[in-house]
Amino acid sequence: MFNHLLRLMWNKKKQNFLLMTEMFISFLVLFAVFTLMVYNYNNYKKSMGFEYENVWVVNYNNNMNSNNTDSVLLFYETLRQTVKSLPKVKDISFTSENVPFSSNSIQVGTEYNKKQLSHINLLRVEDSYKNVLQLKILEGRWFNRQDIAPKHKPFVINQTLKEELFGNENAIGKLIGGDSKSEVIGVVEDMKIKGDYISAGRAMYERIDTGSYRWLGRMLVSVTPDADIAFEGKLYKTITNIMKNGNIEIEHLANKRKESNYFALVPMIVLLIVAGFLIINVALGLFGVLWYNINRRRGEIGLRRAIGATGNSVSGQLVAEALILASFAIIAGTFFAVQFPLLNVFDLPRGVYLTAIILAVFFIYLLVLICSLYPGKQAAAIYPAIALHEE
Amino acid sequence: MLKNYFNIAIAVLKRRKFFTFISLFVISFTLTILMVLTAFIDKVVNDNYPDKKRDRLLYINSMEERGENAMNGGSLSFYFLTHYAGSLKTPVKVAISSAYSGTNTYINNKKIAVNYKYTNDAYWEVLDYDFLEGKAFNRQQIANGEHVAVISEDLKKEYFGNVSSVVGQYIEADNVKYRVSGVVKNVPITNYMMYSDIYLPYTVSKSDYNENKTYRGGYIGILMAASKEDVPKMHEEYEQMISRLPMSSKEFNRIYSHADTFISGYVRTGNEEKSGVTIALTAIGIFVLLVMLLPTLNLVNINVTRIMERSSEIGVRKAFGASSQTLVYQFIVENLLLTLMGGLISIILSLTILYFINSAGFIANLTLSLNFTVLSISLLTCLVFGLLSGVYPAWRMSRLNVVTALKAS
Repeated sequence: MFNHLLRLMWNKKKQNFLLMTEMFISFLVLFAVFTLMVYNYNNYKKSMGFEYENVWVVNYNNNMNSNNTDSVLLFYETLRQTVKSLPKVKDISFTSENVPFSSNSIQVGTEYNKKQLSHINLLRVEDSYKNVLQLKILEGRWFNRQDIAPKHKPFVINQTLKEELFGNENAIGKLIGGDSKSEVIGVVEDMKIKGDYISAGRAMYERIDTGSYRWLGRMLVSVTPDADIAFEGKLYKTITNIMKNGNIEIEHLANKRKESNYFALVPMIVLLIVAGFLIINVALGLFGVLWYNINRRRGEIGLRRAIGATGNSVSGQLVAEALILASFAIIAGTFFAVQFPLLNVFDLPRGVYLTAIILAVFFIYLLVLICSLYPGKQAAAIYPAIALHEE
Repeated sequence: MLKNYFNIAIAVLKRRKFFTFISLFVISFTLTILMVLTAFIDKVVNDNYPDKKRDRLLYINSMEERGENAMNGGSLSFYFLTHYAGSLKTPVKVAISSAYSGTNTYINNKKIAVNYKYTNDAYWEVLDYDFLEGKAFNRQQIANGEHVAVISEDLKKEYFGNVSSVVGQYIEADNVKYRVSGVVKNVPITNYMMYSDIYLPYTVSKSDYNENKTYRGGYIGILMAASKEDVPKMHEEYEQMISRLPMSSKEFNRIYSHADTFISGYVRTGNEEKSGVTIALTAIGIFVLLVMLLPTLNLVNINVTRIMERSSEIGVRKAFGASSQTLVYQFIVENLLLTLMGGLISIILSLTILYFINSAGFIANLTLSLNFTVLSISLLTCLVFGLLSGVYPAWRMSRLNVVTALKAS
């Protein structure tokens, strides 16, 4: 039966080749779309890793004229105490410019046991950072006052980095880095700092030392839920009064999250619309061609019916032909698709590619099945007498 | 003869309505996608508000210093733009402005997020902002450090409400009161080099624009040549100046900075090895290829099927001496006709989609429209599309053997 079908298809190889190419390209398009969707969905499923409601970001560029570290420190300490003493402020924390949901990135590299890793987000934080964003400590501890003058510079790393550097081993107390060693003192849950749909990536946290306050530009403020615009105006005034030479902007993390999600979602939606259109397109074309073929093969089908083939076996033959064609296209498509996980293009987890391949295979079969069922049914309804009479 | 083909084509289209529907659907949707894309690119690239003298301008956005292990890049300092770019001989004017950044203002228990930008006086002469009322601040006002501001139409509406004139009134931003000197038409944020809500004199900037004697800071510049012909000379002069520039630190051994035309400046990625234009073109090319490849294949499939249906007609015509060429010609004309019909539908579809995009306001102040450029590019794509999907089927048709063609029916 199978060989038989193959021979029938081979006889019309030119027409079938065109159909196959079409399915092949559809497969690749679907693979790309599903890869993106699976990747985004996987990221979306994971927890945010921190609290963004009722946390505000103050962006400032303070043009301080002083070069004296002590006076800079004193200035920021005054600012901290003043802001903290406001009624609706729970806690504040100065930090580097890569706050959650911002487009700024600071990336570094490190090594452990000759294993080198790059693209690690470096977040410069204070002891209060953990409380402001309510980070979850998985192992070890967060920074505290003991870390002022340690033997090795202390670092807290995130879960992803821990798994990549140490696997299942205990990370606490391990020394990482090249020439100047630093010590891992804690592991925190991954923070998706670029938004819901983007993976957390590797991250390490460094305690801000007293000399680097002048280079900072962000302050995170956690407020009580009843903090409103009027209070925001007051906070704004308070800060500008202290920072006379600075430009200040207050943003809400919750709004910044929406914005960064918007930037992740819009390209995906556009891609989905385009891909959806392409698939409808292919489905209609496939349907038309199959339908037309049946009309051309009325004589053949009529004859088969006349010598006793059931309607089901006739429609089965047509559907099987279409599915075999699809299988060839899928085999060729999979060959190209598996190169992505094998060559590790784009640095995505393998599972994402594999899920995408499975989904794309499934979807192509479904599409071909749907497009061939109706023509198949029509073929089954052909009466031998009428079909052969025309001949 | 053409009229004959036309009649035949209409008759054929009417005969199998389902196929005609599929073809038209495929063609019109593909062209719609391409037209919306073209409208978007055209808006970003060709919309010359407020830089109407674009063919005389070169844009300086960034500088990058590189060494073996070090790299430092970003926008430029006010000092660099006045002392180095400002000392060039070809440019007649140098517009200097800071990259826009954000602040808030609070009024009547409402928060308004404001983007501000510091500019010099040449900025208003190099660029042609449309003033709805008032005028720009002048050199004297800048030198005096007056707190004056030019604001955008949107900000006026948001801050003052629906009032007719606001010139002379005060607006508070960043905790400082500024007197409104003029109101300009909005610039979409996609034009990031000139976008802002409020434009201020550089002398009121809180950062010490004069004390930063390094190359890098928060400013960008626009050079204006006396005429179009001077632009290459100006470009050359700037490159020469950069090549003579001493390194700011021993870690570096190369300095990159370019005075670009609008488009190459717009897509400059900060990667010196690859031009931004190449990357942008490749990305657009891949997208267009993807969007066109599948529908074309699909149409080829449908067309091949459709001509087989007409094998008897072809057989008879061939038997009576029609050459292959004539048949190919006829079929391509038919196909182009179909594509043009699809093109017409796609114009209607595109207008609907653009209307939807504009009214939804996905990007503030960005109004997409179909103009002459977009339409002619669309027409061109129609023709290419029609030829692509018609040539192979026509070629196959013309090779049909008379005997087989007649026998098949």
